[in-house]
Amino acid sequence: MQGVMTPADIEAAQHLQHIHETPKSFVKHYVFSIDHKYIAKQFLWAGLLFLFFGGMLAMLIRWQWAYPGEAVPVVGNLLFPDTQGAITPPTYNTIFTTHGLIMIFFAITPIMIGCFGNFCIPLMIGARDMAFPWLNLLSFWIFALSQALVLASFCVELGSAAAGWTTYPPLASQVGTPGLGQSLMVLALFVTGVSTIMGAINYITTVIRFRAPGMTWFRMPGTVWGLWLTSILNALFVPVLGSAGLMLLFDRHFGTQFFLTGAAGGTGDPILFQHLFWIFGHPEVYILILPIWGFVIDFMSFFARKPAYWFRGSIYAMITVTVLSAVVYGHHMFVTGMSPLLGQAFMLLTLVISVPAEILFLNWLHTIWKGSIRLTVPMLFGLGTIFVFGLGGLTGIYLGTISTDLYLHDTMFVVGHFHLTMASAAFLGSFGALYLWFPKMYGRLMNPFLGKVHFWFSTVGLTLVFGFQMLAGYAGQQRRLYDPFQYSYLEGLQDLNRFTTYCAFALAIGQLAFVYNFFYSLFAGKRASQNPWELGTIEWTDCASPPVHHNFDRIPVVYRGPHEYNHPEVLEKLGRDWIGQTEEFDPAADAATSDEVAATA
Amino acid sequence: MNIGFTMMNHLKKRLTSLLVTLVALTSATFANAAPVPATGWGLPRDVSVDGHKIDWLINATTFFITILFVIMCIWMAAAVVKHGKDHQAEYDHGDSGHHVAFAMAISAVIFLVVDGNLWFNSTIDVNTTFWNYTEAEKHPEAVRIEINAHQWAWDARYAGPDGKFNTADDIVTLNDIRVPVGVPILFQLASTDVIHSFSLPNLRIKQDAMPGMINRMWTTAKETGEFDIACTQHCGTHHYKMKGLLTILKMDEYKSWSDKMSRIHARGYDPKDQAAKWGWAWKKADTNDDGISVEGKPKSAALAPERSQSVSLAPEARN
Repeated sequence: MQGVMTPADIEAAQHLQHIHETPKSFVKHYVFSIDHKYIAKQFLWAGLLFLFFGGMLAMLIRWQWAYPGEAVPVVGNLLFPDTQGAITPPTYNTIFTTHGLIMIFFAITPIMIGCFGNFCIPLMIGARDMAFPWLNLLSFWIFALSQALVLASFCVELGSAAAGWTTYPPLASQVGTPGLGQSLMVLALFVTGVSTIMGAINYITTVIRFRAPGMTWFRMPGTVWGLWLTSILNALFVPVLGSAGLMLLFDRHFGTQFFLTGAAGGTGDPILFQHLFWIFGHPEVYILILPIWGFVIDFMSFFARKPAYWFRGSIYAMITVTVLSAVVYGHHMFVTGMSPLLGQAFMLLTLVISVPAEILFLNWLHTIWKGSIRLTVPMLFGLGTIFVFGLGGLTGIYLGTISTDLYLHDTMFVVGHFHLTMASAAFLGSFGALYLWFPKMYGRLMNPFLGKVHFWFSTVGLTLVFGFQMLAGYAGQQRRLYDPFQYSYLEGLQDLNRFTTYCAFALAIGQLAFVYNFFYSLFAGKRASQNPWELGTIEWTDCASPPVHHNFDRIPVVYRGPHEYNHPEVLEKLGRDWIGQTEEFDPAADAATSDEVAATA
Repeated sequence: MNIGFTMMNHLKKRLTSLLVTLVALTSATFANAAPVPATGWGLPRDVSVDGHKIDWLINATTFFITILFVIMCIWMAAAVVKHGKDHQAEYDHGDSGHHVAFAMAISAVIFLVVDGNLWFNSTIDVNTTFWNYTEAEKHPEAVRIEINAHQWAWDARYAGPDGKFNTADDIVTLNDIRVPVGVPILFQLASTDVIHSFSLPNLRIKQDAMPGMINRMWTTAKETGEFDIACTQHCGTHHYKMKGLLTILKMDEYKSWSDKMSRIHARGYDPKDQAAKWGWAWKKADTNDDGISVEGKPKSAALAPERSQSVSLAPEARN
């Protein structure tokens, strides 16, 4: 629709979206806001809070692996007064279970998808708000409810969930894990799933319907592509998790036996749960990485001041991964007694995913090659993301292969691998995005020096912690052990585990640089200009920092792709190395490009 | 409002040197507190006939991906050093025919070499060895063991001289599995309560033990000695203590042990004790994957025996 634009098209776009009045009451502005930018900030704060929570749980796990059963220093007596500060096995199970669930569903997801999805999509495609602003409001408050359920699960008798983040029954049944805490956590997952689906529907619709005139599919920034593809996966696969969670709740409380057999009673099938869980669970790891890939495509181009190399190739690669992600989940179940034929099919499909991933890596590397690299904080985080994702992605192929997985399955190698991909890459990518868009969100600049301190602590810390965890797994250490050194073949790993713990503590301490920087800049940072990074995407060229309530007085018209840096003619005539997507420059040539795009799209 | 940042700029150099010193000092302290680990690194000793196939594949893949990762890091570092902000960026969308062909060709080569090697070898190893139960069953001296996992221990059952499970001469042990060296050891696994995973790290193999289903696993040991049996699936409070002992014996030692144990167990056998008959009829190699025996339903269930009528491993329970 946006290939060749007539003035009538452009005029029609102005009336498609209303200008909502800026809310005047406190509640409508700060609590029940329908403004996508404010909802983004709400998701950011909610996510950061739980990121801190999940991070502290991680520190407890690390302490336990370094000094099993010994009193936790400093906070031990406060947290575990009954045991003089020591973690007991049931408490430990709760800690690692809730760490995983909180980080994935209540920290990374809201920051990466809730915050940046909400903030970036309308601004970057030139829309005044989301397609369904009220659904957006509902999505956040339902998410807040799910977080409240998570907190509540810690306050009931027997504590929160303890069956592992994968929540496999029969362990997750009332017989395996009694108490209300496990149920509340599963309920929280269901509720957060409802919120995620609402967000996904909103994002998908907004991208399809609300692109500004001239914003063809391949003129959308990588960020929007990543968030859009993630939303499609969310809309398709979160319902599967929701159904699995609901069935589990029914098994726990209403006497059904979908998954129960053996001592838990019933004639159900525990494997059924694993199928449901991983049909969701494997797309989920791509849900958590696609937006990051999008960020990285953009950041590499933005700060190498060079067009994104083979942008279409990167987008096709991301689409391919989105499709393939639905058909590889079986590699999580190689040792469940899976049919050998099915196992081999899943192995082949899993390995095929490395092809699009290689294309993405090559394109990122080609983008920065022969560029004019500015090592800004977002760029550093982008490069760090490539580094940790490279390490994590490459080590994934051992686990997608049956025979090597027979040894490595359920060891710390798996833990190290997926923390490098979906935790470290998601962490670094999301923080890179926060450093990049903070000036646009809050109208103030963050301190680059503290940002770089945060970067080095985070990247080196994450690499060491999860690299060493992979080493421990290579030596055979299983995951989720209260005391790994009960096993004689693991006794020699005590020093390795301790050293990893020190690295994790250093990683945590490094986050203080961010906390200080964030709060300081929020209230006293230097005022940001409209386009402090000199970028060409719409949110920088057409919106104030921070943008007005309705984003654009006039819906902008888009003339070119998002990565036009160091265009020779622009350099010559405008004397700068960037040009905005919405800047009218040599209209004849621009019209020709849009014809071309229209012809190929 | 800028005072903070102006001060920060003045302090930047001092802060940097302070930070470097701090990092150096803390690392030194940590290094002192945690001396370089000297033992336990690397793969545990491989005592199986076929484990080397897995080790080789792991190491070959490590070799390949190390090369790829190092190239990636050098590429990034070189770009940052050579093409910094003083370098004039090249305006190039990288979508010309030869660029695309180059990217596709590189990806194809990496895929064929690294993933291809994994897929090819793993497919062969899985079909000829690790999941090839039919071949293992044919061995005349193969040892068959039924494992019933429960929170937080491993029950093992040997058929005894009559070759039939759930009979008077069965040997039943707890967390103590003894096997001979050099012949296939076939395991069939079930669980009473939750999902466990029966792992023999020194033999490079593991398989889940599931309630309501019988899983298979086999291996051949090449060395004698005592090794850990580990549970690798989170199974509740004392998961970390679900440890068994695998003793690999010379064939004659194993025979004398099993003869002796068989006699002892036969003396103590109580035909009325249903709880003791948790074993099942050995599942043949050519059965399908649903735990359905070709000879009909298993005699008993690896579950709480009082439930064996309603909760069994029998096909009707699973369909």
